[in-house]
Formats: sequence, structure tokens, C-alpha cells
Amino acid sequence: MKAVTGIPVLDEVVEEFPESKTLTYWIDPEVEGNAFAMQTIYTNLERGFKCAYVTVTISPESVISEFEEFGWEVKEFENFEIVDLYSSYVGFPSKCKYNANPINLEEVEVLMKKVLEKFDIVFLPASSIIDVCGEEALRCIKDWCSLAKSIGKRVVLSFVAWPYSKEVKDGIIEISNALVKVGGIHHRVILGYYYGLVKADWKNVKSRAILFKLVRPGGVRAYIPKILVTGPYNAGKSSFVHAISNRAVSVDRLGTTVALDHGHLEYKGFSIDLFGTPGQERFDPILRMLGKEALGVILVVDSTKPETFPRAKQMLESVTHFGLPYVVAANKQDLPNALPPEEIKRRMVLPNDVPVIPISAVKGEGVYKVIDALLDLLIWREGEDELEI
Amino acid sequence: MNMVEQKYQLIPGVELRKGSNVMIYGPTFSGKAMFAKSTFRKLINSNYGGIYVLTRETAEQLIEWLGNDYNPNKVKIIDCVTKSMTGEAKDTASIKRVTVMDLTGISAKISKFFEEFWRSGVKDVILVFDSLSTLLMYLNIQTVFRFLHILTGRVKMTGAIAFYIVEEGMHDEKTIVTLKQLFNGMIEFKEENGKKYVRFVSSLVKTEWFEIVVDENSVVIA
Ligand SMILES: Nc1nc2c(ncn2[C@@H]2O[C@H](COP(=O)(O)OP(=O)(O)OP(=O)(O)O)[C@@H](O)[C@H]2O)c(=O)[nH]1
Ligand SMILES: [Mg+2]
Repeated sequence: MKAVTGIPVLDEVVEEFPESKTLTYWIDPEVEGNAFAMQTIYTNLERGFKCAYVTVTISPESVISEFEEFGWEVKEFENFEIVDLYSSYVGFPSKCKYNANPINLEEVEVLMKKVLEKFDIVFLPASSIIDVCGEEALRCIKDWCSLAKSIGKRVVLSFVAWPYSKEVKDGIIEISNALVKVGGIHHRVILGYYYGLVKADWKNVKSRAILFKLVRPGGVRAYIPKILVTGPYNAGKSSFVHAISNRAVSVDRLGTTVALDHGHLEYKGFSIDLFGTPGQERFDPILRMLGKEALGVILVVDSTKPETFPRAKQMLESVTHFGLPYVVAANKQDLPNALPPEEIKRRMVLPNDVPVIPISAVKGEGVYKVIDALLDLLIWREGEDELEI
Repeated sequence: MNMVEQKYQLIPGVELRKGSNVMIYGPTFSGKAMFAKSTFRKLINSNYGGIYVLTRETAEQLIEWLGNDYNPNKVKIIDCVTKSMTGEAKDTASIKRVTVMDLTGISAKISKFFEEFWRSGVKDVILVFDSLSTLLMYLNIQTVFRFLHILTGRVKMTGAIAFYIVEEGMHDEKTIVTLKQLFNGMIEFKEENGKKYVRFVSSLVKTEWFEIVVDENSVVIA
């Protein structure tokens, strides 16, 4: 059986985790990214590979209970071993067969050679090792990866991207045959998490960002972002959802929406669910219902009806209350008396950085630009079109 | 805005803006921890969300101290003690337990709590980190600095107010100087002839020393 990453979507892209390779999870320091390496290790334990898990900042007991929280009963696997660099550091006797004090790098080097020879896949918490032993430990990590390469073993690194020196970051990139970025969607707070393949030298591919959640038990699960489409009565919300969706349904009565519009969109590697609200109602309960799932809001306004802008503005207050990023779709631009986007921004007194996108929902013009603007806000940094470290 | 001064006149004339990271510095038993705790209590009682990172007492001890003021919707705790001692402890939605060296765990959990407050419409948050000195017992200053660089940035970004307790006399001068770069100011405590004092120091202001009285529940200006 071949080794794999065990991560949804990623395995379809890279197909396998070949021997002599180092796979690195490059993790945003504010994102719980440890689960990725754990999932890779557990998946391969199940496949019969001998796996070793090195711990430096967490006790072996806690490592096991973290695995167990995800439903991964590592204790039942004879092919699993923890390499304990924690206990002697904090002054406890180690209960693990493989252990050393990280203060003594030479001792650790001897131990790691043994471990690499004995096991097929070795997990190293690269950043924690550097945190505890200092930046000079990078040299050791490099040595272990080269040793693994020369004897056909695999290394899984987790690298939490604290503000380290460029040498450290470059060093990690250099030794990584595959690099997976695990990032956060930053919007004042972190609203969601994503991962994506930055490189894999055995496959000439990259993946775009995949949103994920950690499920206990379960592990890393890709999920579909939910986008709320709101705006005043008759602004064109239902038309927008229908114009953009691969499939959509609305519950309308006499031409006005009485329940949610729902549309689904496959776009730039994302699977997105759109929810259109009825224009006449307060939508707080709906936002509350979508709760943690909602990632952003599209506010549709009728560009020919400035008298509805105060209502639109009022709706934005709820959106900001829930802390979500938003873009404004200036609809009905096909009509002669439509106000231009800058004018709408001015009249609604919107902050400068809020994108106002001119669209015509009935003609389907500009509608994808709205999604682009929101994705830009959520995931890509300025000018960035694919994942970068 | 001048929230802390309006609601908590410990140090006259001190304005703590939202997004401030403040070091709480002084010798052992000078009232630092009580100052942080009682400010925390005052603020959660005026609709702030609270995040407490504990390295010297357990979540249960803080909850007991808070008594009726404890509300799990408003008080989120990161307990770095229990797990280091017993290894066995269940997390809840509002109490997370990690080992004190697990900076990644602490960082991810704080950020999750910020998200929860943010999404539930709670925009004012007080964070107390008690204490950085414990972290520095296990980890070198470079590592702690990198961790704080990210955390103080998040506090600034969300407009929260954060207190970080540092023990005087436990660290060398260089460590303190390095830490100070991260903070907007310092609330400093001292003890002299059996009396306790507090003052505020930043690059812009330095107040006089005010005498304080510290008991089990509060710190007040004498
Ligand atoms: N000319 C023009 N008409 C539009 C456009 N978009 C929507 N409309 C018209 O505006 C009217 C309302 O459109 P809907 O999509 O039902 O608007 P809504 O916001 O869902 O309305 P409610 O659910 O009742 O709040 C319909 O008659 C649409 O044909 C547009 O881009 N241009
Ligand atoms: Mg509608």
C-alpha cells in the first residue's frame, strides 16, 4: 500500500506521499494546524506504516489524548511510537522508549538517527524544536531530512510560521519536497481556516485554497463557505443568486421572496453556498442561523433607488455587528438612471476600502466580479492569485 | 475612547486606548495579579468579553474567585496549569487547557475566543496574561518575543485591551527591554517601607507613584 497525506482533496492532487520525501505543513501561528500532521500520521498507521511522532512542547500523554479527541486511537497501534523530547526538559522521568533532553542536541541527534532507521514515517514539530533549542537546531532538522531521503524514509514537518528569521524560513522551504499552507482568513479576527498545496516536487500541481474545519472526532474536513446575499426590497437579490448559481431555488410569492433564496456555485476551485434573504424582513435571525458558517455578505442595492440606501445602510449595521466582511453590488446598472458606484459609495457613506461593484443581475454582467471581490477580501492578499508562503 | 479610565479609576490620568498592550510589572506580592484580576472583573461586568490566560492557578481557582461574576459566555479561560500537572482534564467551550510550553496551542485558542466574541457581537475584549514570567521559565526570550509579536498584533487589530504580567527581579535587563518594545506602556508596582504603590509609564507619560491598598478582592488607591 502506498503512503498518503490523509488530507481531503490534497490526496487527489498529489496522489501519494512517496518515500524519501519531506512533507511540510506551514501553519499560521493563530490556526490550530497540528491536526494536519496528526491526520497524516494516523492515516498511514492504519495503512501499516511504522510511524514515530516527536513531541517537544507537549507531554506524551497529551499527545495521545489529542489524537484521541479526533477519534484516532493511536495507542492500539503497535507500529506507533512517541519520541519524547518533553519530559526530561521539564524535569519528569520519561515513560517512552525513545526519549532525550532537547537541551542536549547531540543526544537528540543520536536518538533521531535510530528513529529514522527504525520507522517509515517520522513526524517532527520543526518550529517547536527551533523554539526550544534555538535556530541552530535548523541544521539538525536539515540533517534528519537528508538522512531520511538517503534511506528511503518519509518526514512530516509541522512548521508554525512565527516571525522567524529569513534563514529559518528559507531553510524549511528548501528541505520541503511538498509544502502545504494552513492559513487563517484574517478579518480583524480569524473568521475561518484554509489550506492549500503550495508545491509538491513529485507532481507539477498547485491547489487553490480549501476551507476547512476541525471536527472532533473526525479531523480536517473541507467545508463549503456560506455567503449571505442581502439588500432592500426589490433590489435584485433573487436575480443575483440565480444569475450566479449553477443551481438555485427561491421561494417567492407575488414576485417577492418569502423564504431564503438558495444557490450553489462552483467557482475557482471553491464550492460556495449563497443564501439570499427576503428583502422585507429583518435578517438578524438568518445570520444567527447561518451562525459560524457565514464567511461574508453581499449587499445588493438598486442603483436607481437612492431612497432605499438608508435601509441598505441599516442592514449593514447588523452585518458589522456579526463582524463579517462585505461587498456592495450596485445592481440594475443597465438602467439609464443608475447611479455610478462611486456616487453610491458617497451617498451611503461607506468606508473607502469597501468594494462597490457595478452589476446587472438580469443581464448577468459583473456578477462574478462580486464574488472575486469577496474572495479577495477573504483569502487572497492584494495581487495574489495563488497560494504563497 | 477612554474606557478604562471611565470605568476604573485606578491610576488617575491614564488613558488606555482600545488596542493597547500593557505590561504589568513589579515584584512578587505587590498587587499586580490582583490589579489585573479586579480590572478584568470590572470590565466583564461592563459588557466586555474576557479572556484569561493562566499559568499560575487553575481555571477552577479563577472561577471561584470570580464567584457570581463568572459567566462562561463572557469569560473564556486558557488554563496552562492543569494539564502540566495531571495531564487529564476535559476542555469545555469556554475553558481550554494546554501545556505552558505549547505556544501554538495558546495562540490558536486565544484567536478562537476572539473569533467567538467577534461573531457574537462582543467587540470589547479584555485579555489578561498571567504571566509571561512563567513562559520565560521554559522558553527563551526570542521564542516568547515571536509569540507576543503575533498576539499583541491581534489585540491591536481587534481593539482589545491586554495586560501581561511580568515579575520584577526574575529576568535580566535585556529581557525586560526586549519585552517593553511590544507594549504601549507599563503599569508598574513597587513596595516600600511596607507600603505599596502603582504608577503608569509609557513613552509619552509617567505618572507619579500612587499609594494603593491591596486585599483579596481589589486594589484601590489609598
Ligand atoms: N433592469 C433590471 N432589473 C432588474 C435587475 N435585477 C433585478 N431586476 C428586476 O427587479 C425586480 C426585483 O428583482 P428580485 O431579484 O426579485 O429582487 P429581490 O431583491 O429578490 O426582491 P425581494 O425578494 O422582494 O426583496 C424584478 O422585476 C427583476 O426583474 C437588473 O439588473 N436590471
Ligand atoms: Mg427575492
